[in-house]
Amino acid sequence: MGNRLVMKLRVADMRAETPDVLGLRLEHPRRPSLPAWSAGAHVDVHLPHGGIRQYSLCGDPEDLGHYQIAVKREHLGRGGSTWLHEHLRAGTELPVSAPRNHFRLDPQAGPHLLIAGGIGVTPIAAMARTLKRRGTAFRLHYCARDQAHAPLLADLEAVCGAELTTWLSADDRRLDPIAVLGAATGARLYVCGPRRLTDAVEQAALALGWPAERFHAERFTALEDADFRPEPFEAVIASSGARLQVPAERSLLSVLADNGIAPDSSCEIGVCGACECGYLEGEVVHRDVVLGPDDRATRLMTCVSRGKGTIILDL
Amino acid sequence: MANEKPDMTEAFSHPAAEAAMKTEGGARDWTGVLLHIHIAPQASYEMEELDEAVCVPGRGIEGDRYFLGSGTYSTRPDVREITLIEQEALDALARNDPPLQAGPIRLDPIDHRRNLTVRGVPLNHLVGRRFRVGEVILRGGRLNFPCKYLETLLDLPVFLPLYNRSGLNCGIERGGIIRPGDIIEMLD
Repeated sequence: MGNRLVMKLRVADMRAETPDVLGLRLEHPRRPSLPAWSAGAHVDVHLPHGGIRQYSLCGDPEDLGHYQIAVKREHLGRGGSTWLHEHLRAGTELPVSAPRNHFRLDPQAGPHLLIAGGIGVTPIAAMARTLKRRGTAFRLHYCARDQAHAPLLADLEAVCGAELTTWLSADDRRLDPIAVLGAATGARLYVCGPRRLTDAVEQAALALGWPAERFHAERFTALEDADFRPEPFEAVIASSGARLQVPAERSLLSVLADNGIAPDSSCEIGVCGACECGYLEGEVVHRDVVLGPDDRATRLMTCVSRGKGTIILDL
Repeated sequence: MANEKPDMTEAFSHPAAEAAMKTEGGARDWTGVLLHIHIAPQASYEMEELDEAVCVPGRGIEGDRYFLGSGTYSTRPDVREITLIEQEALDALARNDPPLQAGPIRLDPIDHRRNLTVRGVPLNHLVGRRFRVGEVILRGGRLNFPCKYLETLLDLPVFLPLYNRSGLNCGIERGGIIRPGDIIEMLD
């Protein structure tokens, strides 16, 4: 996974999308055009104290004059979103990486089914804009508490028109994944939102025999498996033969860094894809939410994934 | 990558410079000019253009990632106080000369990640040589080599077309202030 260029972008405009979601329009102070991106992409926002947070681009990929992101204030988070809410002003310069995309739209035509929950609407909004422009048939199901807590709602109503269905729990309308998926058999399915939504949609897809290659989910947190007990393992560096012991309480990423091998890293919770690494042999316990089944045969995310016994890294 | 301050190799202690210093010849009768000065505050950060820059012997340009020790580099010692590239090489890329890739590549001075963009300076002849940029004296240590890192960062296929014209890594013999427009010429 390569590095991305980090640019100091200026907050050109900011507004409260909802009481707890801040919408930001980011522009380059000197360049009229920003690096290109496609729907589903995210940027890394670098915080002043060293943290990095990922935010999906929710604007129009055809308009490279600015990037649009929406930041939900996470009171129980690691402090990044709170800092952004409290310190950003119009004109603030914020270090932002060039976009990368782990949640790409299928380039094929054919119907698409988009399902978003709350702030998970951000990549889905960019997808809706793209599909509308392509003239591809799609439906967007948007779940939120109520209208006041549905970021980008007015924008999406304008973009999607009759293709948008809202499911507002305050009105006692709740998405029934089986019914919604059942009515869209054969569609390419994209879902982004809180775990309980993505899990419910995934279970419905499994129940309906939805083809895996037509199911795409972006989750906010890596797999939370209460039963997972990390075990020590050994990592061998293929190029040097060095044998590194990874204790149960430490990540492969941190042990590599201690030994002068520092993959890029960013989220360290298995969602961003920065610390991806190849492996040649051994059994890997994959715990990220980035790699698909095919990639998992030869690649792993060193921040959360582990080996069983001995694994040989392509480093 | 490492984030501690790298060991700087004194430019004329680099094997490439040592070999070149034992060899006479090379272009001498030229005068060049400094076009642009750029620094990056950290690895991967976009370069920023300066109107003037302070060069410090043994360190680099004040505020630059290598001066600060926050750059991207292999952990072994190297010559990396200050890097130069020829505007002529960038002009050639822009006209797809030689035609090694799909088409012309526009590599602006802000994007190539070398510190100084110069015109009229035969950088490939300056390994093991001393030359001045305004009041600052530089020592050519080794030729720069294009890296895949740059290609990934820019998402442009610049590796091949920059081969053998990727610039020069220098040490700073005498520090001082440089500005665009400064004259560049051989010493000795």
